[in-house]
Amino acid sequence: MDVTMNVNGRELTASVPPETTLLRLLREDWDLTGAKLGCDVGDCGACTVLLDGQAVNACLMLAGQADGRQITTIEGLADLDAFHPLQKTFEDLAALQCGFCGPGIILAAKYLLDTNPNPSTAEIRDGLSGNLCRCTGYTKIIEAVADTAKELAAKQDAA
Amino acid sequence: MDDNVKVVEAETSLEALREADEALRLPAVAEPITYPIETKVPDARQQTPAVGQRATRPDGRLHGLGQTKYIDDLSFPGMIHAKIKRAGIAHARIKSVDVSEAAKMPGVLATLVGAEIPVNSFGPSLQDQPVLASDIVYHAGDGVAAVAAVTEQLAADALEKITVEYEPMTPVFDPLEAMSDDAPKVHDPDSNIYATKVIKKGDVDKGFEDADHIFEATFRTQMVEHVPLEPHATIADWDGNGRLTLWSSLGRITMGRADVSRTLGLPYNRIRIIGTIVGGNFGGKNEITQEPILGLLSKKTGRPVKGVYSREDEFMSSTTRHPFIMEYKTGINSDGRIVARKVRLVCDGGAYCSWSETTLGKACILSAGPYNIDNLHVEAFAVYTNKTMTGAMRGFGAPQVCFAYESHMDDMAKELGIDPLEIRLLNAFEENAASPTGQVLESVVVKESLQIAAERFGWKD
Repeated sequence: MDVTMNVNGRELTASVPPETTLLRLLREDWDLTGAKLGCDVGDCGACTVLLDGQAVNACLMLAGQADGRQITTIEGLADLDAFHPLQKTFEDLAALQCGFCGPGIILAAKYLLDTNPNPSTAEIRDGLSGNLCRCTGYTKIIEAVADTAKELAAKQDAA
Repeated sequence: MDDNVKVVEAETSLEALREADEALRLPAVAEPITYPIETKVPDARQQTPAVGQRATRPDGRLHGLGQTKYIDDLSFPGMIHAKIKRAGIAHARIKSVDVSEAAKMPGVLATLVGAEIPVNSFGPSLQDQPVLASDIVYHAGDGVAAVAAVTEQLAADALEKITVEYEPMTPVFDPLEAMSDDAPKVHDPDSNIYATKVIKKGDVDKGFEDADHIFEATFRTQMVEHVPLEPHATIADWDGNGRLTLWSSLGRITMGRADVSRTLGLPYNRIRIIGTIVGGNFGGKNEITQEPILGLLSKKTGRPVKGVYSREDEFMSSTTRHPFIMEYKTGINSDGRIVARKVRLVCDGGAYCSWSETTLGKACILSAGPYNIDNLHVEAFAVYTNKTMTGAMRGFGAPQVCFAYESHMDDMAKELGIDPLEIRLLNAFEENAASPTGQVLESVVVKESLQIAAERFGWKD
C-alpha cells in the first residue's frame, strides 16, 4: 500500500506491505533511525514520535494509520543552527548515558512541555511514565525536563 | 697522483651552503614547554577537582539529536536478517530438526542447525554452552535452528516452518533439589554442583559457644534480567577472502574474538569484531551469543547478516543475575558485637556456567559484609538447573549477599534492642582491617560514611 505523510516538514511517500508499522517505515524506508526498536510491544517508549504533535509509540501504529498525518521525529527537532532547548539541557546535564532511550524521552518531554509548560515533578514523572531508561535512574532526566521548562518560561517572560 | 690537494675553496663553499640552508629553514619553532618535574598529586581521600563539578558526556549531544548509530541503525548493501528458533522446552533430547520446509520458502536464503557448527560449545570459564543445541536442550531459551531471509518478517515466518522432535527429559528447577544425589542431572552425570568455595577464619564452633545469642535466617534473591533498552544485536559479514567481520553490541570484544575463533575453527587474524556504541550492557553483553550463527549464515549466503534479538529472545535466552539462597547463622553478644558467623550460599547458575565461578567467589568474600568477624565459615556452591542461564551482572554476586547480611543485621538489632546504626558502627571495618580472605584494607571510611549519611538524612529524627 502507498502511504504519504508529512515527516519533519517534508512530504514523504512510500510503498509498504500493510503490516508495516510506522516505526519500521521511518527506520527502514526513510532511514530515520532516531526512533529505536526496544521492545516492539509499546512498553519501553524508545520508539516515541510525535503524531500531529502528540507523543505516540511508533511500534504500535501501522504505517497506514499515519497516512496523511504529520510526524515529528527526533531528527526534526533540531536544525543546523539550533538545538531544541531540551536537547541542549539533556546534553548539559548528561541526562543520557547509553542514549538508546534518549530520542523517545526527549520527544515525550516535548509533548509534555507543549501541553503543560510548567509541570510539577510528579507531572514530569507522569509525562515520562511511558518511557523506560535502564542507565540513569531518571533523576537527571527529570531534572533536565524541569530545567528546560524554567528556561522556556524565562524566555517567554523576556519576549 | 698528488694526494695533498688544496681544498680551501671547497671549505668556504661548504660554509656558504650551510648558511643558505639555515636561511631556508622555517622560522624556529616555539621553545619547548618544560613541565614541572614535581607534579602535584592530591593526598589520599582529598577531593579531586572532578568531584562536585558538572560533567557532560562527549557522546551526549549525538544521543540527544538521535544521530548515534547503534547496530540496528546500520545497514549494508544486500544485507539480510536472521532469526533463531528457541526450544521452548526446559530439558529434552533432540531427535530431529527439520528445516527443509523453511528453506523452501521464498525469500529464505539459508538455514543453520547445531550440527553444522564446527565446534558447538563455548563459555568464559567452562565451555558448556552450545551455540545452537544439537543433541540436548538444557533450557527453554536454547536456540535449535536459525534462518536468514531477506526481511525480518520472513525470517520470523520461516521459524514457524521448522519442526523439531523432542524426547522430553526430566528437568530440575530448584537449586537445593538439584544438589541432591538423586536429582536429574543437567550436564555432568555425577553432580549438578560445578563450583564450590570455602572461606575459614578462626574457630566458628567455639565462637558460637562463646556468643550470648545465636540468630539464624535464610534469604533468597530472585533472577533478574538486565533488560538493556537495546537488545543484543550483531551484523556479520563473511567476505570472499574468508575473513569475518562482526559489528556487535558485545562488551568484551577480545574475549568474543577468542570464542568466535574457537566455535568457527577460524584463526584469530581472520576475525575482526567492531564494537559499536552499546545501548546498555550492565554485564549482559559480556559474552558471545548469536555471533557464530550469523557468521555461518553470512558464509552460506555471501551477504551481510543482521541479527537483532526480540525482547522475548532477550528474556528467554540471554544471561540473568544469579538467584541466591543464603543461610546465615550469627553468634552475637548482648552488646551487639558479632563473635562468629556461618554462611552457606547456593547460587542457582541456570543451564550454563558462564561467569558463575567469578560471581560465587565475589559473593563469598563479601558475604560477611564490611564487619569485623573473628570466627567465620563460608561455604558456597554453584548449581546447574534447567533454567535461563545466569551470567555477569553489575556487582557479580555482591548485591545478593549485601541484601542478606544487612537484613540479618537489622533483624538482630531489633531483637537485641540496639539502634541499627549503632550495631553497624560497633562492628564495621576500620582502617587496615582485614577482609575475610586476609586482605588488608586501606582507605576504609565505612564508619565515617555511615555517620555523615545518618547526619545528612536525619537518622536520629
